[in-house]
Amino acid sequence: MQRRKFLSLGAVAAVATVLPSSVSATDFRKEKPAAWQAEGSVEAIKALYGDIKLIEGKIKIKAPKLAENGGAVPIGMKSKIEVESVALFQDANPRSAVVVFELGDSGVFDLKTKIKMRKTANVTVIAKGKDGKFYSAVKKVEVSIGGCGG
Amino acid sequence: MKVKAKLKKGNVSVKVLAKSPMAGKEEAEKKKIKVEFITHMTATVNDKVVWEASTGPFLSKNPYMQFVFNAEKAGAKKGDKVVIDWIDSNGKTKKGGKKIK
Repeated sequence: MQRRKFLSLGAVAAVATVLPSSVSATDFRKEKPAAWQAEGSVEAIKALYGDIKLIEGKIKIKAPKLAENGGAVPIGMKSKIEVESVALFQDANPRSAVVVFELGDSGVFDLKTKIKMRKTANVTVIAKGKDGKFYSAVKKVEVSIGGCGG
Repeated sequence: MKVKAKLKKGNVSVKVLAKSPMAGKEEAEKKKIKVEFITHMTATVNDKVVWEASTGPFLSKNPYMQFVFNAEKAGAKKGDKVVIDWIDSNGKTKKGGKKIK
């Protein structure tokens, strides 16, 4: 998407929600619907960010080697890079995209959440840096009992 | 919703335990419940957005979120309230929050 178009969409979104526009309040579900329908991480990342070059080795994913409960697998993401957004994908469920975080001006890249995984699979984190570059990390998580997903 | 916010060494770390079945299409069919999951969550301090998340049904049930922001850059101090808002797939909204300790 062209940057200008993207920015104008952001402005519309900021007005539509009553939230203050100090951060580009973006609803990635509304703006990038295809990314949430993609079955695999590769397609989902492409639908969300387009064809991007990824830099590896800067992000640390903290996840259990063996998750006993696939219904709530803790995933931590951390880096010293200053980032705009961080997206989390996995290949253990019917669709890949899990969550897209936006950190705004004051955010520190130190996030943690819990996700569903119905089988052993890779978890992928993609971060968009304030320098405009994209960073990635992948980690395999083994799941002994599947999550409650379909 | 449970929220905790703590200021330490210039950074505020926030923990949120939301309440939602986070049931997507497949899971709702299997469990014979309706599709219901949080689609967007926002954190604001003094009307300034400090964090937000577009979410899907593959977060765990009653999703847990932890994030950190710089207090100075956000213009936040002890006693200010971190307000959490979310909206779910059925358009239902919820608001909560906690003062920064």
